Amino acid sequence: MLLIHCPYCEDSLPELEFTYAGEAHIARPADPSALSDEEWRDFLFIRTNARGPHYERWRHIGCGRFFNAIRDTVSDRFLTTYKAGEPRRPLTNEAAE
Amino acid sequence: MSRYRLQGKGRVDHSAPVSFTFDGKTYQGLRGDTVASALLANGVHLMGRSFKYHRPRGAVSAGSEEPNALIGTSRGAGRFEPNTRATVQELRAGLVTESQNKWPSLSFDVGAINDRAYMLFSAGFYYKTFMWPKSFWDKIYEPVIRGAAGLGKSPTEPDPDRYASRYLHTDVLIVGAGPAGIAAALAAAQSGADVTLVDENAEMGGSLLSDPAVLIDGKPAWDWVDAQLGRLRAAGVRLMTRTTAIGYYHQNMLGLCQRLTDHLDSPPKGAPRERMWRVRAGQVVLAQGALEKPLVFDGNDRPGVMLAGAAQTFLHKYGVKVGDNPAVITSHDSAYHAAFDLADNGARVAAIIDTRESPRPDLLDGARKRGIEVLPSHTVTTTRGRLRVKSVRAAPVRGTQVGTGRDIACDCLLMSGGWTPSLHLFSHTKGTLAWDGQTFLPDRKTEDCEIAGAGRGLWGYADVLADGAAAGLRALEGLGRAGHQASFTVANDRPGSGVSHTELPTDGNAGKARAFIDFQNDVTAKDIRLAVREGMRSIEHVKRYTTNGMATDQGKMSNINGLMIAADALGKEPPQVGLTTFRPPYTPTSFGAFCGYLRGETFQLTRKTPIDPWAEANGAVFEPVAQWRRAWYFPKAGEDMHAAVLRECKATRASLGIFDASTLGKIEVAGPDAVEFMNRMYTNPWTKLQPGRCRYGLLLGEDGFIRDDGVIGRLSPDLFHVTTTTGGAARVLTMMEDYLQTEWPELDVWLTSTTEQWATVALNGPNALAMLKPLVEGVDWDDFPHMSCAECTVAGLPARLFRLSFTGEVGFEVNVPARHGLALWTALIEAGKAYDICPYGTETMHVLRAEKGYIIVGQDTDGTVTPGDAGLDWAIGKAKKDFVGKRSLSRPDIVAKGRKQLVGLLTEDGSLLQEGAQIVLDPNQPKPMKMVGHVTSSYQSTMGHPIAMAVIEGGFDRMGETVFIPMPDGVRKAKITSTVFYDPQNERLKA
Amino acid sequence: MMTSQKHDFAAAAIRIEDAAPALRLSLRVKPAHRDAVGRALGLDLPARVGQRAQAGDIQALCLGPDEWLIAAPEGAPLADAARAVYADAPHSLVDISDREITLRLSGPAVLDLLAACCPRNLAAMAVGSAARTVFDSATVILWRDGPADFRMDVWRSFAPHVRSLLAQAQAEIAAGL
Repeated sequence: MLLIHCPYCEDSLPELEFTYAGEAHIARPADPSALSDEEWRDFLFIRTNARGPHYERWRHIGCGRFFNAIRDTVSDRFLTTYKAGEPRRPLTNEAAE
Repeated sequence: MSRYRLQGKGRVDHSAPVSFTFDGKTYQGLRGDTVASALLANGVHLMGRSFKYHRPRGAVSAGSEEPNALIGTSRGAGRFEPNTRATVQELRAGLVTESQNKWPSLSFDVGAINDRAYMLFSAGFYYKTFMWPKSFWDKIYEPVIRGAAGLGKSPTEPDPDRYASRYLHTDVLIVGAGPAGIAAALAAAQSGADVTLVDENAEMGGSLLSDPAVLIDGKPAWDWVDAQLGRLRAAGVRLMTRTTAIGYYHQNMLGLCQRLTDHLDSPPKGAPRERMWRVRAGQVVLAQGALEKPLVFDGNDRPGVMLAGAAQTFLHKYGVKVGDNPAVITSHDSAYHAAFDLADNGARVAAIIDTRESPRPDLLDGARKRGIEVLPSHTVTTTRGRLRVKSVRAAPVRGTQVGTGRDIACDCLLMSGGWTPSLHLFSHTKGTLAWDGQTFLPDRKTEDCEIAGAGRGLWGYADVLADGAAAGLRALEGLGRAGHQASFTVANDRPGSGVSHTELPTDGNAGKARAFIDFQNDVTAKDIRLAVREGMRSIEHVKRYTTNGMATDQGKMSNINGLMIAADALGKEPPQVGLTTFRPPYTPTSFGAFCGYLRGETFQLTRKTPIDPWAEANGAVFEPVAQWRRAWYFPKAGEDMHAAVLRECKATRASLGIFDASTLGKIEVAGPDAVEFMNRMYTNPWTKLQPGRCRYGLLLGEDGFIRDDGVIGRLSPDLFHVTTTTGGAARVLTMMEDYLQTEWPELDVWLTSTTEQWATVALNGPNALAMLKPLVEGVDWDDFPHMSCAECTVAGLPARLFRLSFTGEVGFEVNVPARHGLALWTALIEAGKAYDICPYGTETMHVLRAEKGYIIVGQDTDGTVTPGDAGLDWAIGKAKKDFVGKRSLSRPDIVAKGRKQLVGLLTEDGSLLQEGAQIVLDPNQPKPMKMVGHVTSSYQSTMGHPIAMAVIEGGFDRMGETVFIPMPDGVRKAKITSTVFYDPQNERLKA
Repeated sequence: MMTSQKHDFAAAAIRIEDAAPALRLSLRVKPAHRDAVGRALGLDLPARVGQRAQAGDIQALCLGPDEWLIAAPEGAPLADAARAVYADAPHSLVDISDREITLRLSGPAVLDLLAACCPRNLAAMAVGSAARTVFDSATVILWRDGPADFRMDVWRSFAPHVRSLLAQAQAEIAAGL
């Protein structure tokens, strides 16, 4: 069981208080009707399936908020977490370690 | 007095005899004994038969790593456990134990024929022997193998014990309370950190309990241990005995299994048998010590052959001399001390056979003083003795030449092949290991942990204590605290070293040697070499092919020996071959400990509505729906389910039915942007819905498939009362929150779950309005048509009243604050008596809605059904530019022909179809048939014949066609119809 | 000779009681309008998750960046007060008095009781704070009112399960092992 840092509660809390919510930074297109079938398909279904650092979303039961995280899918370590709506965090050297 | 018990010796209580039985015979042991030590005190070495060859076996160790002495234990009615390690199970009054894998008796076992036929059972035998003929597998091989195999027998009764769970957060967790662990705890406790010290044994002290002559800071070892434990207790350190760290997980989370009552004569009432601790530690110190390694030679598994350190432990901890006339075979200095200690306690040591050329002079002196013959540069080529070792054959070795051996009589043989650091927990963390030429040592860490003492290859108490103290201090510093480095003076220390071997050299036929590596799985050195010859290259393949290390002891004794031999056979260095993966749990752990409280009534969470007590009192049969238990139907005396449901259906259609709909999900959508939010989430248009009116809402996923539905009321311009399906409540709220928080944070609208704020009672039937009217205040009945809602009072209770129908009859849903749910229900039952009100359950609800063709999301839809597929195009706001899922409704595969569409089915012979049954167009086509759909709902109905719904490819264009449903007892014919079977014009809703 | 641990079990009492029904409101408002709604309710709404504020017998707990739980005696006229500022400070105030029931858990062993099923480090939780967390598979709100004094708000339908678990843990602690 991991400890996950909730960027809203500013505390590292047990994984049991969190749920996974899919890949991060996949914004819903502002006007879906303007998208081609292929573009819409990609939005719906195409995900990165990263080996290593992965941008993903989690939700904390405690504060009810969705937030973003970078988690290494090999080591299962959270490299960082940040609030929903914040831009994609770059992979710093220390984060990628 | 037992023959082999030494008066006054050991940590057992000589004034407290404890009786127990083994294979029906009563023995006496002492308080503080294990079953193994008590049996050995009585001269019993033969404790079981091995798994594959049924060879007689005795205890080879004195601890949790024991592979041989597995027994069945019975602690009273229903409390039988197989495969208990006799070296771990503490004696308690009345304990009943039995040996395993034997028939008819332990000393004469028919299954031992396997041992004569061992050539058949070599490595990989089941992959080879039973290959042909194929038809034999099901009928002969498998049943025979299953009958013969297995370790012990399963308990036949449910486990009557309780098990507990506990979370623990601690600054420093120290695993192992031997000298290194105690020193680490002393260091870590000095600055007031929260420290937890755990040990799997009944007592703390580790190897010091087996080495009482050692002096630390001038104190005899046992006194020192007592004093330090006192200091730790005074410092507030949590001391937990009988507590095994079974697994080491991410971020310093460890699982500890604490055995609470197995050792007690009469456990306190309510006490759990075991407790699983889930510990989060800031820092971890692993001080688990090292495990002694057997030597590999022919006949190394006879009862009476045991690890030298085990003999030392039996002697000092339990006051048990394992034999009068031991011989020793060793490649490590430590076995000399076992020999010396036994000699000093009256044993006549036959010989110390040392594989090494030049044993340490002080050890040779010690042997000489005691009159013990030492045979350096010797090997053991075989042992003799049927149920107990009688002699050992020692032979000199010159280079690779084995000289003529001689038989040395003995009644036990103590062996030591050196010590393997206990790396299991460290390996759980994916920490890397380094080979030091003899064994693997911990290398690169991945967690905040320290390894101290023998666990990282140190030997001798002075080194181990200093190392433990340093590790404890580093742990403290890891917490950002400071302390000082303690030092210890040790006298009578017992440092030592040794060498590692593959099989010991032999003058016999190596091909016939029965030199065991994995005692429990009966894997021999020859099996490992055979596996390599047959092409296994990876140690993981060798392991699986031979089953080496796959027994319940997880290879604690066998892994390194297996690796050394495999590496030798492959012509590689051991680190190039590598070690197999260690996995939790460290020792066998009961299922009960993993279950904890989650059994019986708390097996899983069961939600109950406020009206549940009435249903229970009135004979409801319940069914689980999502996490809820819901009243399924209310049978009267003599009624089966079919009769009860038909009666409930007819009563509702004829007059009035009442139904507990409290489990429906409810979400309050409030705020200035509520209507905008509703427009974006649901397919339907909401802008023009007037306050006081409601509408059926359909929710899609972004992929265009139906996710949920429900009736939604607009209570005021800024306030919607949304209902969801019972199972969809949490999912829908999460989905809405997700959009709101991450896609549309600009909207001023908020969501609150009110599922449990409201108890909901549905009234349906032609008399619903007449019955309800007098109870309601605050509703303008002239302006309250079908699909209306209002805040009012019902039976004097504050209520939200909805006029809607899920049955096709005039219907209402009355919501009152949950605490009043039962009061409302009973008031309505009372008032309804004039109309023969009939309580009904979920089954009747299902039938009545199916007759009207109303879908149930999750039953008639399965995540691949679009509104179009379900005939719900009417619920889509065509003028809306966007809503969740809209774009997907024009995806090529969604608009393609031939999608499965929801239709009605009527069987030709009037039989009831089975839900889930597959549908074909031509029953005579060759198999496998082309399946065009399946039955989603099927019921006996109020119309005198069964009805069904189904999804069928192109179903809407097949109205009136006949389809076929092949069933085991014949093919059913059914006609495709509309899904609306009852009152298609909705006349009855207008009453 | 055998070392053993001794505990003082007489002190390990645990009390589990039902709290009287109270008014409970879920307040949702964006940060920009927090103070305005707070003023209307007579509360200085805390901004940090887990913090509590009290004015008279009205308590507010910050559950999330835009979510507060208001607990007050039944009949407190908070809804009307909030409605008065709705136009300028839009928000949602939903009566959830009946959604949860409240258990009072107290006694010297209360942390052990809660640790049976709650993975949070509750010993580290400040007295006077609160948190939404999990107890086994139920979401609960734990209010720490004193060192050995907790309140647990649990959804009504989950209460039988939670009570049963608490009773098991209570019996286990009473057994003294």
